[in-house]
Amino acid sequence: MMFLLTRNALRRFKIRSIQQIRQSHEKHSPDFHDKYGNIVLASGSAFCVVAWVFTATQIGIEWNLSPVGRVTPEEWNDK
Amino acid sequence: MSQVQPECSPSVVPAAHSKEKMPPYTNYHAQRSYPMPDEPFCTELNAEQRALKEKEKGSWTQLTHDEKVALYRLQFHETFAEMNRRSNEWKTVMGCVFFFFGFTALMIWWQRIYVFPKKPVTLTDEWKAQQLQRILDMKGNPVQGLASRWDYEKKEWKK
Repeated sequence: MMFLLTRNALRRFKIRSIQQIRQSHEKHSPDFHDKYGNIVLASGSAFCVVAWVFTATQIGIEWNLSPVGRVTPEEWNDK
Repeated sequence: MSQVQPECSPSVVPAAHSKEKMPPYTNYHAQRSYPMPDEPFCTELNAEQRALKEKEKGSWTQLTHDEKVALYRLQFHETFAEMNRRSNEWKTVMGCVFFFFGFTALMIWWQRIYVFPKKPVTLTDEWKAQQLQRILDMKGNPVQGLASRWDYEKKEWKK
């Protein structure tokens, strides 16, 4: 049963390659997504990564991470 | 197979009445779930195209391959392969999603400056270091927890 399911699922890859051979002529007029899709995707994700790394590390949010390996204990009862 | 669009205007009902649609909106709309609309794609045919439609009324074996393709193009805007082609829309969509997600980070930055209350004294570095020492002195969670990770002989964290 599982064999049949995986066989049917994998057949998708073989079929798709045939369709790509036949569909070889390009669309004539590129639309907005063809022209700018890669730029929008790259710049959007870069901005997202930079913004969140900055927010998580630089603006003083206290994450209170585990002290193990990070914090050196100080004496507390000497006052 | 070359995709040459025939010289035709899509079926546009003349304006000035209630149900008509202005161009580019027409009564022709095909999609995968509704592939054969009632009206053909081209309604205003030139003489050559009208002659072809007349020929279509006869036996179809008389039609050449190019004539059949031309008739298809008169009736339909795109083939199924063209209609169902993939697009790069997902790139624009995900790019905008990431952009707004990043904008949220800027909003949180603003909130950190103007909304967050002052950090409690118990969360300053000095207090946390002293609190840690106190917990280690009390041997808090010595079996698997915090004190078990501290090497009391060498006075450092276990590797």
